[in-house]
Amino acid sequence: MLTTFRIRRFNPESESPQPYFEDYQLVTERSDTVLDALIRIRETMDESLTLRCSCRGAICGSCGMRINGHATLACKTKVASLASSGETIHVEPMNNMPVIKDLVTDMAGFWEKIRQVQPWLQPSGPEPEGEYLASPDAMNHLTGVMGCIMCGACVSDCAALEVNADFVGPAALAKAYRFVADPRDGSSSSRLGELNNPGGMWDCTRCMECIEVCPKEVGAMDRIMTLRATGIEQGVPSTCGSRHTEAFADIIEHKGRLDEPMLAVRTFGLGNLGRMFSFLPMVLRALVRGKLPKSGPLFRPISGVDRIRRLFQRAKERP
Amino acid sequence: MVTSYEYDVLVMGAGLAGLRAALAAHETGATVAVITKVHPVRSHSNAAQGGINAALTDRGDKWEEHAFETVKGSDYLGDQDAVEILAQEAGQDILALEHMGVIFNRNEDGRLGTRRFGGQKRARTFFVSDFTGQALLHVLYEQIMKARLPVFEEWFVLSLVKDEHGQCGGVVAFEIRTGRVALFKAKAVIIAAGGLGRVFEPSTNALICTGDGIAIAYRGGAPLMDMEMVQYHPTTLRGKGLLLSEAARGEGAYLLNSEGERFMEQYAPNMMELASRDVVSRAEQIEINEGRGINGCVLLDCRHLGKGLIQERLSQIFEEAKSFANIDLTEEPIPVCPGMHYMMGGVKTDVEGRCWDLAGRWRGVPGLFAAGEAACLSLHGGNRLGANSLLDTVVFGRRAGRCAGEYAKTLPQPRIGDDVVKDGENVIRMIFARPETDDTVARIRHEMGRTMTQNLGVFRDQEGMALAQQTIAGLRERWNRVAIHDKGQVFNTSLVRALELDCMLDCAETMALGALTRTESRGAHFRTDCLHRDDEHWLKHILIYHRPGGSPQLDSLPVRITQWEPQVRVY
Amino acid sequence: MKYAFFPGCVSRGGCPELYQSVKQVYPRLGIDLEEMTTASCTGAGVLQEKDLRLGDILNAHTLALAEQQGLPIMTICSTCQGVMSQANHRLATDPGYLDDINRVLAEEGLTYHGTTTVKHFVWILLEDIGEQKIRQSVKRPLTGLRAAPFYGCYLQRPSAALGFDEQPARAQSLETVMALLGAEVVDFPGKTRCCGMPLITINEPGSLQMVAHHTSDAKEHGADVMVTPCPLCHLNLDGLQSKAAKHDRREIDLPILHLPQLLGLAMGLEPKTLGLNRNLVSTKSVLEKLDVA
Repeated sequence: MLTTFRIRRFNPESESPQPYFEDYQLVTERSDTVLDALIRIRETMDESLTLRCSCRGAICGSCGMRINGHATLACKTKVASLASSGETIHVEPMNNMPVIKDLVTDMAGFWEKIRQVQPWLQPSGPEPEGEYLASPDAMNHLTGVMGCIMCGACVSDCAALEVNADFVGPAALAKAYRFVADPRDGSSSSRLGELNNPGGMWDCTRCMECIEVCPKEVGAMDRIMTLRATGIEQGVPSTCGSRHTEAFADIIEHKGRLDEPMLAVRTFGLGNLGRMFSFLPMVLRALVRGKLPKSGPLFRPISGVDRIRRLFQRAKERP
Repeated sequence: MVTSYEYDVLVMGAGLAGLRAALAAHETGATVAVITKVHPVRSHSNAAQGGINAALTDRGDKWEEHAFETVKGSDYLGDQDAVEILAQEAGQDILALEHMGVIFNRNEDGRLGTRRFGGQKRARTFFVSDFTGQALLHVLYEQIMKARLPVFEEWFVLSLVKDEHGQCGGVVAFEIRTGRVALFKAKAVIIAAGGLGRVFEPSTNALICTGDGIAIAYRGGAPLMDMEMVQYHPTTLRGKGLLLSEAARGEGAYLLNSEGERFMEQYAPNMMELASRDVVSRAEQIEINEGRGINGCVLLDCRHLGKGLIQERLSQIFEEAKSFANIDLTEEPIPVCPGMHYMMGGVKTDVEGRCWDLAGRWRGVPGLFAAGEAACLSLHGGNRLGANSLLDTVVFGRRAGRCAGEYAKTLPQPRIGDDVVKDGENVIRMIFARPETDDTVARIRHEMGRTMTQNLGVFRDQEGMALAQQTIAGLRERWNRVAIHDKGQVFNTSLVRALELDCMLDCAETMALGALTRTESRGAHFRTDCLHRDDEHWLKHILIYHRPGGSPQLDSLPVRITQWEPQVRVY
Repeated sequence: MKYAFFPGCVSRGGCPELYQSVKQVYPRLGIDLEEMTTASCTGAGVLQEKDLRLGDILNAHTLALAEQQGLPIMTICSTCQGVMSQANHRLATDPGYLDDINRVLAEEGLTYHGTTTVKHFVWILLEDIGEQKIRQSVKRPLTGLRAAPFYGCYLQRPSAALGFDEQPARAQSLETVMALLGAEVVDFPGKTRCCGMPLITINEPGSLQMVAHHTSDAKEHGADVMVTPCPLCHLNLDGLQSKAAKHDRREIDLPILHLPQLLGLAMGLEPKTLGLNRNLVSTKSVLEKLDVA
C-alpha cells in the first residue's frame, strides 16, 4: 500500500530555521507501525529525518510524537489503522515543549516538573527488616500508575498547560498520585499540601486529553481527580477549586440540581468580591436578555429531592 | 575552548546496572556522574518483563539451590564464586529495591509474592506484573533524582582515555544535542552501557543496544570474554523479534507444534516449557526445521490460564500481542520463534566489577569497571537463567559502584591532556569528510545483522561462522569508507548511528572469533559439527584482546569451580 | 421514538435558550420526549472530584428511572452525556461495582440492570432519526453559512466510554449534522479541545485565553458562527467571549449557537422562538447571512 507521510521538519541549523512540512511516499505493509515507516524513510529516503526511538514495543517512551493531531507512540500506531484507504498521515513533534530538531523535543521542562513532586518514596519511621507489608490490592492498583513510561504524550496534549506554563501537568500529577496512594509512603499530607498550591492539582481543566492519548492507560486525569478527593478528605486549605467542588456537592445534595449563581458566589468566597465584580457586565447582559437564573431561596429543588438527599447520606455511610 | 568535567566516578550507561552503580558509588562519598546516550528511563532495562530471582531463606528457599540452578543453566561455564555471591546477596538487594519503592507483587498476606521461571524448580522470581524491568528502572531513577546525581543525558561516548601509566582517566564524549566534544575526567569509569543485541537482526533488543560500552572498553585495552555465548529467547515474535516474556510459561503457558503437541515432553520431560532457554530454543528450532512448525514458528498457548490472570499478571504481553500481532492471548495461541535476546559475554570483570586483575592473571585497565549486560564475570556462562539478568544488574552494579567509589578515593585525579578532545573532534570530522558513495550505514548494518543471524544462530558450524567472520571483515572495510549526508551539529542521529555501527562491528568480530575458537557445544553455543560438551578441553573462558591495527589476540581463563563439578545436564 | 428527556441543569439555568430551542425542534423530527423531573444533576465531573462513587450512585439512579420507564435517555449537553456515559460504562464493565451501587439504590426500591442507553441529541439525529428525516425537516438550508463545530470534551473523550468503537461516526457527528443542514463546515484544530469552562474559577486568564483562542481561530478559518452541543461550552464561549476579547485585546464577535438553534433556523423557525435573542454575543450577523428578518 502506498502511503504518504506529511512530516513536520525543523532544522535549527538551516539558514532560516522555520518549521515546514515535507511529504514522503512509501510502500507500507499491513504490519507496519508508523515507527517502522519513519525508520524506512530515514534509511532509504532521507537520512537527516530526526526522531528518538528505541524499544519498538511501547515500553521505553522515546518515540512520543503527534500523529494526525494527537500525541502517541509511533511504535504503537499501525499505519493501516490510519491510512487504510490511502489517507495522508500527519506526523509532528509533541506539543507544549520546545522542538530541538524535526520530531525531537526538549523534555528538560517535562522532567523538571516530575522532580517538582519529589518523586521518590518517603517512608515514615524506620525501615522494616523485611519488606513493607502492603495489601495485594493496593499494590495492584499502583502498578496501573507505575505503568507510566514518561513518554510525554499527556503533557503534549494537555489543554491546561497550553494556557499555563506553570501547571505541573498530568504526568507529574500521576507520578505524585503514585506516592500519595502508596501505603508505604509517609508524606501524603505534605504532598497534597504542595499539590494544593497554584499550578498543582486544581489547575487541571478536566478535558480528558491525557486519558485519551496515554499509550499505557495510566489515566492521569482520573488520578488527579482522586488526588483532589483525597485532598478534600484530608482537609487541605480551601482553594477556588475545592470550594467549587464542595459547594457543587452541597447544592446538588440540597436542591438536586445546580443553582449556578450560588455556586459562583460560594466558589469565589467573600474574599474575592473583586473578581466576582468583574463578571458583572456578563451578569447584567444576561439579566437584560432575561436569562439570569434564579438563585438561593428562589431556586426550587427538583421534585423528589428527598430521595437525592438520602442517596447522598448513604454514599457517605459507605462501608 | 575545551570543556571538561571532573568526577571521582563516571558511570557510562543509565540502565539498572549503571544507576545502581551510581547510587552505590555515591554512598561511598565519591563524586559521581552518569553519562548516557539516552535519558535513563529510555534504557533497555525497561524491556525485562518477567522478574528478578532471589532465594529468600525466610520463605524456605536456599541460596545454594538458586546458585546450583544458575551453574547448571550456564552449562558449567559460569564462574561459581561469582554465582555464589549473586545467589547469596540477591535477598538483600530485592529488599533494598522494595524499600526504595518498587511495587512488587504481593501475596494475600501482604508479603512479596513470587512466580516460577525457567531452569528453576522453585518459584523464586519476584515481579511487578510483567514490566519488572521498567518498574525497577523508574524507581532507581527516582533515587538518582533524590540524590541529585548529575546525569549527562544524550551524550555519546567516543573513547576511553588513559593516563601515561595506563590508568583509566575518563572518557571523551560528544553531546548529541549540540555536537560539542568534551572530556570527562574520572578516577574510575564504570561501563554499564548494556548489551549488543542489534548486532543481530532480528533481536528482542531495543535499537539502542549496540554494544557501545563493550566496544569502548575493548578498544581501551580491556579483554572481552565468552563473546560466543548469545542467548536466543524461546518466545519472540517473528519479524521484528519483539519479546514475549518467559513469565507466560512461568504462569503455565504451553508450547505447541503444528500438530498441537506439547513437544517439550520430548526434550525436557521434567521441566517441560520451563527448561533453560538454550534447551527450549533448540527444541523449537528442531521442531521448525523438521517441519512441525507454522511459518517458521511454534505456538505459545496461554488460553487455559484464564482472562483474569492474563490481564493482571501478563498485562504487557497481552497488550503487545494485541498491538503487534493482532492476537488476543485469551482466545488464540500466538506464533513465536527463538530470537536473539541477550549477550552472556562482555567486558571481563572480577566479582567487584574491576576490569583488571589484582593478581595479574589477565591484563586489563586499572580504574575501569563494568557491570550489567556489558560485563562478563562470568556469571551466566553458556546460558543465562530467566530473571537472573535483573539480579545481575543490581547485585554487581552495586558491588562495582561501591568498589569504584572506594577505589577512586585512594587516587589523585589522573593527568589527561586536552588533546584527547581534539582526537574526539577529529573522529567526527573524518567521518563528515568522507566522500559520498552509494553505500549507507543502514545497509551495512542490515547485512551484518543478517549474517550474524544466519551464521551465529541457534545452530552453528565451522563453515557458517567462518563466512560470518569474512563478511564482517568486509563490512568493516565498507564502514571505513561510508559517508553520512547529514553533517549538522544539532541532534545528528546519522552520526550516532554510524558510530554505533562502528561499535557493533567490533563486537561482531569478537563474537565470530570466539565462536570459531570454541570447538564444542556448550549452553547456547551449539555446533552441529561438534555436538558435545567437552569439559576436558573447554571448561574455560575465551578472552579476546584488541590489538590496534592487528587481528585480535586470544587468551583463556579456567572456569572457577567451588562446589559443583560438571554433570550431564538434563531438564 | 420516545426518549426520557434529561435536560440537565444549565439548559434550565444559564442557557434557557437551549431548552427553549429543543422544545421547538423535536416535534418536527418525529420523536417524543418525556422529561425526567426527578433525576438529579449528573455531577458534571465536579461532584466526581469529591466522590466518584457518589456520582455513580446519582447517575445509576437516573439510569434506573429510565430503565423502569423502558426508555432510552436523551441528553442535550456534552457534559451530561459524557458523565452519564462514563458512569454507565463503569457499571456495565464491573458487575461487582454495579452490585455495590444497587445495594444503595435498593433502599429506594430501585435496581439498575444496566440496560439503559444514553444518547446525546446529536447522536440521536444521526443514529435514530436519520439523514432522510433531517433533510425533510430542512425548510431553509443554511447555504453559505460557514459554521465551525465545537464539541466539548465530554462528547469526545474518553472515546471508549462514548461508544466510538461501535459507532465511529459519533466522532464527527456535529460536522455531519451541520452539513446536512446545508452549512459549510469550517474545520479548525480547536474543535475537540477544552473551552476553558472548568478553569474559570481557578485560572481565569487561562480560561479566557482558551475562549479567545478558539473563537478567533475559528474566525480566522473563515467561520461566521460556532455551533456547540454543550451548554457549558456555550457559557464560556458565548457568555465570556466579550471578557475574553478584552483580556486578549482583540475583537472577536463570533456568534455561538446551540445545535438545536442552528437546526431550528434550518427548519425555518422564527429566531425569537429559538431564543437567539438571548445569546450574549449578538446573532444578528448569522440572521443577516441567512436573510432572516
